Amino acid sequence: MSTTETLPETLPPPSAVTPARDFISRIARQAGLLGVIVVLGLGFGIARPLFLDGGNMLNVLLQASVVGILALGQTYVLLTGGIDLSIGSVVAVAAVCSGLMSHTLPAGIAVLGAIAVGALCGLANGVLITITRITPFIITLGTMGIFAGLALIIAGGQAVYGIPTGFADLLAGGVVGIPIPVLLFILLTVGSALVLKFTTFGEYLTAIGGNSEVARLAGISVGRNTAMAYVVAGATAGLAGAVLTARLGAADPTLGGDLLLTAIAATVMGGTKLAGGEASMVGAAFGAVLIATLTAGLTTLNVQAFYQQVAVGGAIILALVIDQLTKRRRA
Amino acid sequence: MSDRAAVLALRDITKTFPGVKALQDVSLTVHPGEVHTLLGENGAGKSTVLKIIFGVQPADSGEILVDGEAAHFGRPADAMRAGIAMVHQELNLVPQLTAVQNVVLGQERTKAGVIDWAEARRRARTALSRLGFDARSDVPVSTLSVAHQQMIELARALSVDARIIIMDEPTASLTTQECDRLFAIIDSLRAAGKAIIYVSHRLREVMDLSDRVTVLRDGKRVDSLTRTQVSGEEHLVRLMVGRELAAIGVPRGDAPVGEEALRVEGLCRPGVLHDCSMVLRRGEIVGMAGMVGAGRTELARAIFGADRPSAGTIYVRGKRASIRRPSDAIKAGIALLTEDRKNQSLVLGMTTASNTTLMRPPTRFGFLDRRRQSSMTEKVLRPLNTKMRAEMPVGKLSGGTQQKVVLGRWLLSDSDVFIFDEPTRGIDVGAKGEIHTLMRHLADEGKAILMISSDLPEVLGMSDRVLVMRRGRIVAELARSEATEETVVRHAAAE
Repeated sequence: MSTTETLPETLPPPSAVTPARDFISRIARQAGLLGVIVVLGLGFGIARPLFLDGGNMLNVLLQASVVGILALGQTYVLLTGGIDLSIGSVVAVAAVCSGLMSHTLPAGIAVLGAIAVGALCGLANGVLITITRITPFIITLGTMGIFAGLALIIAGGQAVYGIPTGFADLLAGGVVGIPIPVLLFILLTVGSALVLKFTTFGEYLTAIGGNSEVARLAGISVGRNTAMAYVVAGATAGLAGAVLTARLGAADPTLGGDLLLTAIAATVMGGTKLAGGEASMVGAAFGAVLIATLTAGLTTLNVQAFYQQVAVGGAIILALVIDQLTKRRRA
Repeated sequence: MSDRAAVLALRDITKTFPGVKALQDVSLTVHPGEVHTLLGENGAGKSTVLKIIFGVQPADSGEILVDGEAAHFGRPADAMRAGIAMVHQELNLVPQLTAVQNVVLGQERTKAGVIDWAEARRRARTALSRLGFDARSDVPVSTLSVAHQQMIELARALSVDARIIIMDEPTASLTTQECDRLFAIIDSLRAAGKAIIYVSHRLREVMDLSDRVTVLRDGKRVDSLTRTQVSGEEHLVRLMVGRELAAIGVPRGDAPVGEEALRVEGLCRPGVLHDCSMVLRRGEIVGMAGMVGAGRTELARAIFGADRPSAGTIYVRGKRASIRRPSDAIKAGIALLTEDRKNQSLVLGMTTASNTTLMRPPTRFGFLDRRRQSSMTEKVLRPLNTKMRAEMPVGKLSGGTQQKVVLGRWLLSDSDVFIFDEPTRGIDVGAKGEIHTLMRHLADEGKAILMISSDLPEVLGMSDRVLVMRRGRIVAELARSEATEETVVRHAAAE
């Protein structure tokens, strides 16, 4: 059938498909977020010049880092099409554990211990989800309560005090003037972006979130990879818990509630789809920075905390509305 | 037939998508009491024409006339108000609602602010009974067959008294009997003076059904013929493709049928598969025929480990294989190209390269090697005459190209046994021939091929041996010389 070879096959509109165009549209969003952050920062700076002071800007990044680290972990889970509602409670468990461990163990071990505790919590989520096949929303809603309770039980119902300075210095200190949490945040962002783009783990999570049946029929171990995403989310929550303990000098077992929703908001602002299959680590990081900038800026303008909540909520919706509108125009 | 009697007319419709002229000066006229078929290869512009008629997309230029007067359809609701209804290819019903609820959806009448269900039931059942609907109308439609769901969509069109009914490939997933019933319904609609715009790939039914056929190619109208002007199926193919096409099928090469590659013994799944046994040998293409629902796809999935059989043994290359999940089957050298490419074979949001290498992404020092991923993709797809770029999202490719991407993925996997489930469904004539050539090529290389197909000419043209399934059993094995349209249908439809 040599005649068929000359048959022209319909190609889709070229404008929609050139790799360059595709790449630009993908980074356009991140560039846009960065632009908004810069404009916001400059705006606040004009109103209060102190806002643009180097120390203050580092402080904003420091504020962003805990939420940012959580958002990165959450991004792995959202990429698979799942969600982890328990990460806030995992932060509390890990914070309490790191605080107690820091009393007797070397600081480094206490930090690793917190990460391990978080990873274990994540493993519990992942295993429950893959074995029971109950939706992640329900399972993690359950474990959210369980972990929150565990944190209170372990801590005996009150905050853990007496965090040794060695522990605080390890995580709350700085290197060449940059706070360690900020460094961790940046490192994790770059690392996660690379994992997403350049590892089979990232490729498989994308496939699972895009269509888990296709992934299964291609021989990918859907259960193991999905569970791993929750382990990663748990581990990052563990790290976030340790960072919080170091910064606050105490481990509060009631931590975490606000952190969960802010982290999800940051992730979604960054272009990650709740339905799965599409995610951006850099976007999640920018989302966290944007929210922190807005909160800090409003604080310097002496806007009351209640109004700040309204503003941050509005910004999240606005970001997604703009995203929809630009997408519609492109389509 | 003059323009004046036309209930719907398109005049010089042009539609451009960025970089592509989807339609160029397309005109067509639809008369009451007439079945007007749109014919063309995938990408010829049929869907775009339908979308413009139904108000889903605006035309760039040209006009739509309803009853001779210019009409502007900004959205489907406008078209519906003008008496146009559409029966979608992917049925547009709310699965959780009943037949009655679906028929009256959006047209419910209320009494004191409450839906008048007695009236709704009357109205829906009147429309449904006109179509010979014989299933329950008070259970969720998701529990009904596709044919029944289609009737419900048609009933919805009738209940709003549509004068123009658009049907987009309505027979794609119907059995032969169900098709016959649909054709009877179409006949009665035609007799009632409705105008029907029909789209189908199946030439025989186009010949049987149409009063007028408009052929599109590359966004242009090639010709508009009355039924009597069409000399035969080849005539239509010639118009669609713009050249003669060889008969379906690729003859066997001289490669001898080799040793046994796959043996299935006593495979069972309660209610679905009953004691299925078969053998595939290297170098042969075994066709598998049967009605929709006979268990062919289920058998393929059980062999592949996608569903767990309750009993039965599978031998690969003479050795017993323990297949509990798809990854086991892949390791054993079995490939399954599923019938539903979009939902089971491809991750539409990922690139062509990612999809092609999904089973074994190339790595370097533990990291994904994106460059090699692209070059592997190019290397395996180029010889398949595939027009694509490795970085393109696979969802934007045509059906034929998508099928080649799936095939490319399996070529990279070193499989010995290839199971093709409806390999050319929804693929245009040209690409179909290419897929057939590739299948024969694989067999000549010593692969064993099982081809499940509902397209009888394809089964007869391609197979070295034909298996027929009916109600979960393999009921017949026919040598190439015994397999005729008649014998296959007799076994598939007996009882």
